[in-house]
Amino acid sequence: MKILKSKYYLIIAIVGLTSCSKPNPIEVSPELFHKSVDKVMDIQIHDIFSPPVASRIFAYPNIAAYEILAQKSSKLQTLVGTINELKPIPKVDSTQQVNLELSALIAHMEVSKKLIFSEEKMEVLQDSLYKVWEQVNEDEFNVSKAYAFDVVEHIKQYMDADNYNQTRTMPKFTVDIDDQTRWQPTPPSYMDGIEPHWNKIRPFLLDSAQQFKPEPHPEFSLKEGTLFHKELMEVYDVSKAITKDGDESEEIAIARFWDCNPFVSVTRGHFMFATKKISPGAHWIGIAKIASRKTNANVEETVNTYTKTSLAIADAFISCWDEKYRSNLVRPETLINQTLDPDWLPILQTPPFPEYTSGHSVVSGAASVVLTGLFGDNFYFDDDTEIPYGLPVRSFNSFYDASAEAALSRLYGGIHYRAAIDNGLKQGKDLGHFVANKLSL
Amino acid sequence: MAKKLVFIFLIILGCSKEEKTTAHIEASAPFKVVDANVSGLDFSNQLKPDGNLNIIEYLYYYNGGGVAIGDINNDGLEDIYLTANQQADKLFLNLGDLKFKDITVESGISQDSTWSTGVTMADVNKDGLLDIYVSKVGNYKGLHAKNELYINQGNNTFKDEAENYGLDFSGFSTQASFFDYDNDGDLDMYLMNHSVHSTHSYGNIRIRQTSDALSGDVLYENKQEGEHIKFVDVTNGAGIYNSPLGYGLALSTSDVNNDGYIDIYVGNDFHENDYLYINNGDKTFTESSAEYFNHTSRFTMGVDIADINNDQGLDIFTLDMMPYKADVFLKSGGEDSDKIDQIKASFGFEQQYARNHFHLNQGNHFADVALLTQTHATDWSWSPLILDYNNDGLKDIYITNGIYKRPNDLDYINYLSTVDFAKYKESEADEIEYKLINTMPMLSLPNVLFTNRSELNFEKTPVDANNLATYSNGAAYGDLDNDGDLDIVVNNLNEKATLLENTTTNNNYLTVDLNTENLGINTNGAKVYLYANGKTYLNEQITVRGFMSSSSNKVHFGLGEVSKIDSISVVWNDGTKTVKTNIEKNRILSIKKEITSKFEFVKSTKSNFETFNYSHEENNFLDYEREGLIPEKLSIEGPSVVQADFNGDDLEDLFIGGARDQEPSLYFQDTQGNFNLQSNSYLENDKIYEDVDATAFDIDNDGDLDIYALSGGNDFPEGDPMLEDRVYINDGKGNFIKLNSKLLATNGGSVSSADFNKDGYPDLFIGNRSIPGAYGLTPFSFILKNTGNNNFEIVSKARMGMITDSKWADLENDGQTELVLVGDWMPIRIYTYNLEGNFEDKTKAIGLDKTNGMWNVVHVTDLNNDGKLDILAGNTGLNFKWKASIDKPVKMYLDDFDNNETLDQLIFYDYFGTYVPFASKDKVMQQIPMLKKNFTTYAAFANVQDVLDLVDKKEILETKYIYELRNMVYFNKGNAFEQRALPNEAQFSTIEDFYVDGKEIFYTGNTNSYVSELGRSTSNSGGALKYSENDNFNSVRTLNLPKHFSGRKILKLKDGKFLVIGNNDKSYIVN
Repeated sequence: MKILKSKYYLIIAIVGLTSCSKPNPIEVSPELFHKSVDKVMDIQIHDIFSPPVASRIFAYPNIAAYEILAQKSSKLQTLVGTINELKPIPKVDSTQQVNLELSALIAHMEVSKKLIFSEEKMEVLQDSLYKVWEQVNEDEFNVSKAYAFDVVEHIKQYMDADNYNQTRTMPKFTVDIDDQTRWQPTPPSYMDGIEPHWNKIRPFLLDSAQQFKPEPHPEFSLKEGTLFHKELMEVYDVSKAITKDGDESEEIAIARFWDCNPFVSVTRGHFMFATKKISPGAHWIGIAKIASRKTNANVEETVNTYTKTSLAIADAFISCWDEKYRSNLVRPETLINQTLDPDWLPILQTPPFPEYTSGHSVVSGAASVVLTGLFGDNFYFDDDTEIPYGLPVRSFNSFYDASAEAALSRLYGGIHYRAAIDNGLKQGKDLGHFVANKLSL
Repeated sequence: MAKKLVFIFLIILGCSKEEKTTAHIEASAPFKVVDANVSGLDFSNQLKPDGNLNIIEYLYYYNGGGVAIGDINNDGLEDIYLTANQQADKLFLNLGDLKFKDITVESGISQDSTWSTGVTMADVNKDGLLDIYVSKVGNYKGLHAKNELYINQGNNTFKDEAENYGLDFSGFSTQASFFDYDNDGDLDMYLMNHSVHSTHSYGNIRIRQTSDALSGDVLYENKQEGEHIKFVDVTNGAGIYNSPLGYGLALSTSDVNNDGYIDIYVGNDFHENDYLYINNGDKTFTESSAEYFNHTSRFTMGVDIADINNDQGLDIFTLDMMPYKADVFLKSGGEDSDKIDQIKASFGFEQQYARNHFHLNQGNHFADVALLTQTHATDWSWSPLILDYNNDGLKDIYITNGIYKRPNDLDYINYLSTVDFAKYKESEADEIEYKLINTMPMLSLPNVLFTNRSELNFEKTPVDANNLATYSNGAAYGDLDNDGDLDIVVNNLNEKATLLENTTTNNNYLTVDLNTENLGINTNGAKVYLYANGKTYLNEQITVRGFMSSSSNKVHFGLGEVSKIDSISVVWNDGTKTVKTNIEKNRILSIKKEITSKFEFVKSTKSNFETFNYSHEENNFLDYEREGLIPEKLSIEGPSVVQADFNGDDLEDLFIGGARDQEPSLYFQDTQGNFNLQSNSYLENDKIYEDVDATAFDIDNDGDLDIYALSGGNDFPEGDPMLEDRVYINDGKGNFIKLNSKLLATNGGSVSSADFNKDGYPDLFIGNRSIPGAYGLTPFSFILKNTGNNNFEIVSKARMGMITDSKWADLENDGQTELVLVGDWMPIRIYTYNLEGNFEDKTKAIGLDKTNGMWNVVHVTDLNNDGKLDILAGNTGLNFKWKASIDKPVKMYLDDFDNNETLDQLIFYDYFGTYVPFASKDKVMQQIPMLKKNFTTYAAFANVQDVLDLVDKKEILETKYIYELRNMVYFNKGNAFEQRALPNEAQFSTIEDFYVDGKEIFYTGNTNSYVSELGRSTSNSGGALKYSENDNFNSVRTLNLPKHFSGRKILKLKDGKFLVIGNNDKSYIVN
């Protein structure tokens, strides 16, 4: 992070020095896009968006930036006609000196602002950049900004029609406490099931939320010898075994690294508060950033990577949430507390939605396919995404290695049965291949 | 977790603001603060938080200390012991004239700074001298201590003999009470301890059965062997929980069921129930809170037990933490959501609300009347003391409050959540914790005094003109200057203890001393009855009251203007009685235990009802999961009940319509008065409907009664076949056939019939309750003319209100019938049938236009026998969180504020003088997410007082009001109605039905339909009122229906008994 910051100041310094003579074109580096994405991520954490909602917040700003750049790009194909219901953005006026990269960045920040609550946090970034740009080349900045705002308005209308607002006040998920098979709120804060209507959100590439409906989970049974019971016992036994090995065990390290729970409740006496982290989607956006940087991607390539990864992630959440509230399966914590061990605690806090399939598995599966399509298989990287949250760096030989580990982390964490992980990863990868194919990767 | 905090954030936020509240000066109670420099009562419980011990490390760090008042040297002057958490406790000798001397050092009281909590004075060894028991927190985060029993050695010296006596417990003690649990004449001890654990989950209530040596409560029996007194742990097998689930903060021991055996009340913090241990008389107890209370305080912190309303039943007052300042209320954590409520119930926890509870003794159970008396919100409160401070014969309530650091401030909780724990280094732990604590908001408040103005009216009275804002915890009372009134000592945090001198002079009193003449005899628990002026006053000699404290063991009676005391009888624990007559007032009366007679304890009256063979079973539909801002469920209506002769044998039969998935039932009455269930395939086929009302009328004019069954429910959209009404045609013998006809499919509210046009065919009114899914909007209701051949013609289709009940009656005495309607958010509405054949709304003309309530039922009857029909109407009652008047109505704004095609209901009500939004910030933001951008903090939301503060919308679709929440009578005075509220006894809960029997009005009520923020309305166990002269009513009896029972219909049977039919419950026959 520190390195990033100094680079960014360096650019400003150079720009500042040369600004007294004839106006120069404003340069937009890929780092500024990373900066904007990082900012969105920070604000997401502050405003506490649930994982599905966070995935939506990543997608639209990228689409705006992508479509602006695609107009004059030989490499980027417009998404119009590929993603559902998107209409062509307003055309740039070629008589004006619009800097498309600059417009793309401005649009990225502006669309992001519309999606988050703490706008002032985004404005801090915008203000500092705008001030510099005004000094470097006021005319270019103004026309580029004006054009960006036209596109922002267009994208706003597009996103307003995705049914998000309607789903805000749809009925809450009704819990049937008497039905042992069904999901119930879990300790410690017993939150309502989040986003029970997420399958009603318009997908970007899927023809419907159930396009990648996974095979059903093993039939619920608490009888010994049944597959479901075996998987339940596996969660319990694995958790006990690795807890015995202690905090230093590899499994616990993996579970924590991939926790990605944006809202972990902590209770201390009269206090009940939350510790916050990035969501699974955000973690993979972070990996997209690492890959972009590692390959010295230019602005176009960077935006391309962010856009396609975020579209895959967003659709993965829609697909996964569709299954979650179809199968409504009870979490291991509930069953273990009821039938095996009232004091058992999973290593990770159980997130507030039904068990099947594992969201992290689906999302990781989808993102890893798209990233492999973009950067190739056997792409080695050091994943430092979780450093700000006190977790170490983990290194992977490929995106698939990372997604396999992310999926398995849910078993170690004690929050998913094996089927949700295996079938979830398959669901995600199938979806990822479909998306990659549609996006011509 | 707290060990991982970053402090960059903290610096930005800076330190917390301290709010000081001082109310404006008004007529205050006759209390004078006596300065410590003058009195010598120089004590302050100073806290010095450090890295090992602070509010983050110990959740009860700011619970403060206690006070004990008692005469340790038998000189007739009450002495004072004060406990400190991090310094030495102090003992003060009363020198008279409110001068005190610190004798701590010479008395032999320990000078260490162990963490003392509660203190109790009692003559443990029966040597005639008061001993002192001090509870401690030991074995926790560097705290090491054992509880101490200071045995009085005479000459104002004490020696800790806890170990000898077996009372040197070391754990997390809050308070102890000495009382005689087995009536063997010696003092046993209940030690209340508290858990210190943070809870991960509500867990299973099975934990209650486990044992915890540090935090579990302990019952000790005093087993004297010769000279040697040994207290033995008898918890096991005595029915006392000893588990880590108990967060015991409140303790009192009192014979609440008046059977001669002392019971125990333990108030627990957090999710654990409060315990009411009823003494079985055989050295065992039965925890009976679920049997005795409809609900209890959630974060119970203090308790006192006394007969507050002078009916000789001991009432229980418990404290919680509900703020009374609107802005504090809006930014503090409040009631559980309905979902959490449900989850806790499924774990087996009883219903609890985060507000004070005033449990009024009803004989075999208690009815909480805190909302009615408006004593429910005194902020973070610790010590309730029930005492008659102004000697007017009515017991008042003094409450200490204040929390030094307020961890339930929602912005603070949010702030904690933004602290990045990971960046925080282990070595900075203490510093960070310290800063975290510094950031925590503070709020000091003046203590609260409720002056009893009789008949359950209480007035909040400032204690002194300066209205000192303090952080006050333990408190105790006693007549410290022997001037006949009770003075109060309060232990404050980080401030001097307060000595309140009572300067009352104008009333009479009597102080009864049961100790001086009975040295060496245990008198704890004796009941003193004082008879004067035709009234009976009861006081128990108990000392452990309030919080961590024990008050004087003298029994004080305020007597007001009583000129002569007729007699006093003291009922001792062993069931003997001493009676005294010829008593002079205004003095201390010492009574020696001389047996005059044997006392017969009157056991609480057992219920006088039997079960009727019908149970109503509701389907489980949670309206508020669809409509997040509504105040009540509309899907738990019914059953509908019709009493009429269906089979032509001149005996009244019964039709009872069921809830969804329950068929309607038809009962024929036989000559013995039995009701026999009839089989009817049409009814059996119609179980899919939720029956909300029904009426019997002769639709086809063939001389028998047919049935119109009104369907309802908020779970299906209007027009859905699941909401369709039905008509059942009678063949004259009670064989009903379903009429094949398309009827209304709406969420019905009420159906009634009358032949308004006098053509021989009874006509119909069909009133609707709501538009399903759009609470608040007014649905159409219909007046239908019966045109023969089972056909109806619409005479009127209008939006008349959210109808719950209707009656046809000739209010104007002109031979023309009027239609009287009641419902939610609407007035008592009167339509009159005019000569043009139309219905005209006369509500305003008749002066009833400002009667909007949450009406459940209306009856029209001539109550005062003046030949004019009066209106009797059942509402929410006054025991309700909302308050309403014409000046300060409850307001509901209806619109789609965020244009997402969903109706939003924004309700505002008057909260102790300020309008507040009914829905919490979280709820409002969930319903209208765009507002999150405008209200990023709870503090910002705390200033919202009007709909315009919330949304920028000048033209709002519809606004509705409630002006009246009382259960009412409107007397017909010809051209106008004169309103009169029913007495307070009939305001404890909703009234859902009346039966008027001559001059007596029987009523039944209660409902579970309100969301948890309003709470269940369950304090009405049914009752009867009698009309007396001048349009007044007296409460004459309670029906003692089971706690929680929601009576929807009360009928008189031919043997004179009453049948009460409940919602989602059994039905009962009451004598």
